[in-house]
Amino acid sequence: MRDTLSLLLYLMRLRVRTRLEFRASLVIAWAAQAFGYAGVFASIWLIITRFENIGGWTWPQMALLLGFHTLGYALGACFTLVQLRRMEEIVLGGEFDTLLVRPLNPWAYLVFSGFNIEYGGHVLLGAGLIVWALPQIPIEWDVETSILIFGALLSAALITASMLTMIGACAMILGRARYLFGIYFDFWELSRYPASIFAPAFQIALVSVMPLGYMAYVPVSVLLQRPVAYLGSAAEVAALAAGPISVLAAVVFWRFCLRRYQGGGG
Amino acid sequence: MSAFLALIRASFQREVEHRAKMLVRILGSLVEIVARVSIWQAVFSGHGSMNGITLSQMVTYALIGGTILSSWDATMIVRDVGTTIRTGAIGATLLRPVGYPLMLLAEQLGARFFDWLLISLPVIAIMGFCYGLQLPASFGHGILFVGFLFVSLAVLMLTGILLGLFSFWVFDAHSLEWFMRGALATLSGGLVPIWFFPAGLATVAHVLPFSWITYHPMAVYLGARDLASSALYLVAGGGWVMALGLAVAFVWSRACGQVVVQGG
Repeated sequence: MRDTLSLLLYLMRLRVRTRLEFRASLVIAWAAQAFGYAGVFASIWLIITRFENIGGWTWPQMALLLGFHTLGYALGACFTLVQLRRMEEIVLGGEFDTLLVRPLNPWAYLVFSGFNIEYGGHVLLGAGLIVWALPQIPIEWDVETSILIFGALLSAALITASMLTMIGACAMILGRARYLFGIYFDFWELSRYPASIFAPAFQIALVSVMPLGYMAYVPVSVLLQRPVAYLGSAAEVAALAAGPISVLAAVVFWRFCLRRYQGGGG
Repeated sequence: MSAFLALIRASFQREVEHRAKMLVRILGSLVEIVARVSIWQAVFSGHGSMNGITLSQMVTYALIGGTILSSWDATMIVRDVGTTIRTGAIGATLLRPVGYPLMLLAEQLGARFFDWLLISLPVIAIMGFCYGLQLPASFGHGILFVGFLFVSLAVLMLTGILLGLFSFWVFDAHSLEWFMRGALATLSGGLVPIWFFPAGLATVAHVLPFSWITYHPMAVYLGARDLASSALYLVAGGGWVMALGLAVAFVWSRACGQVVVQGG
């Protein structure tokens, strides 16, 4: 176990060192991605500037929501997105067969050897929004609040990693699965807004089968002491538990797909 | 010309082959429209109208602006150019009997026409049935909107190709793509029309070519301008298309000098 962990950390270190060979390119990539998100967030800010709020959410509250959403996503996606989006090519090109005969879990190898530090822009933007928004919102600070903030961010990262793992795993059965990431990102974009503005069917979906509501809306609502439809007083526990539960679902689904994998390459 | 049309047809047929992908894109587009309409329903709940714009107009803006006039996928051109350069495929591309920018344009047009016909129109029909869709303000506005549709397409494609061609120098198309996304997200008026921008930003956004992608076509469709003024904006949009076309031709002529092909 210890050897495996040190090997995974070594793979991560190799990846980071490789990327750091092109530092200027990395910094430009961070700036570009932060700019891309800032463009969308600026549109949301413009709506609130004109209409005062979105569904009762003011700009500092929305900034906190967007910060949670961006940071939680970045923490999960740096381990999974680029790596598992390639699953289709890995399976169809036969590379996955070579991973299966290595003395290391193929998922762990993929995830850690492809650790992506290009999410620096996301992290800075997300953390920046949270740091800017928190002092402007009346929150009673105690141990429970701190646990909720850090726990919910970790949970959001786990939800991201789990969902991307499940979508990537589909390639083992379907072969072509890259297009499925599109539907994930459509719902993911939906989850950057307060779920309370959507129709009940979407609200239910975002806290059940597509648990992206737990990435930001549920924990931030709890922090702001706003009611969360369909969860009520269980919202705080649900926000913290959603990540570990989605990890369990991802483990079961990955193993299910692996059992049915019959080779896709030539 | 026949090669150009053949490339458009080939690109269209390539998209048709992936039926499962098409269904997923329709579903994704429906989700996106639900999000946009929900936002406008939420913000208009306390206001009858804002700057003379009603909720019903904004629903139509979201339906057409989020589908036919959407700008998000155009950044893929930048990615395609980057991949062609990074993999060295640009060498073989230069041997073809059609100029590379023209080839890119044809391939993107095929994909876009597919998108309009088999994704955008069904989504507009479904969501229009659910939320209500306004018709163009008048017959004249409708005719002018068709003109704006092609100006929008040309500005979007040419901006993407122009930015993509800069990959010949910076070698980092991924970052260029994100810069383009950020600029288009706000300045095209894709999500928020320029009507709702603060005065200073609105003045700048009005004259930049990005606003011809979504905002100006929708302003004409909804009748926010009279016919004479709309026609003037259409001419101005045509001017931007010519300017961007010339810029693409100039940058491409310089980019060709950057290519060094080894081996063979």
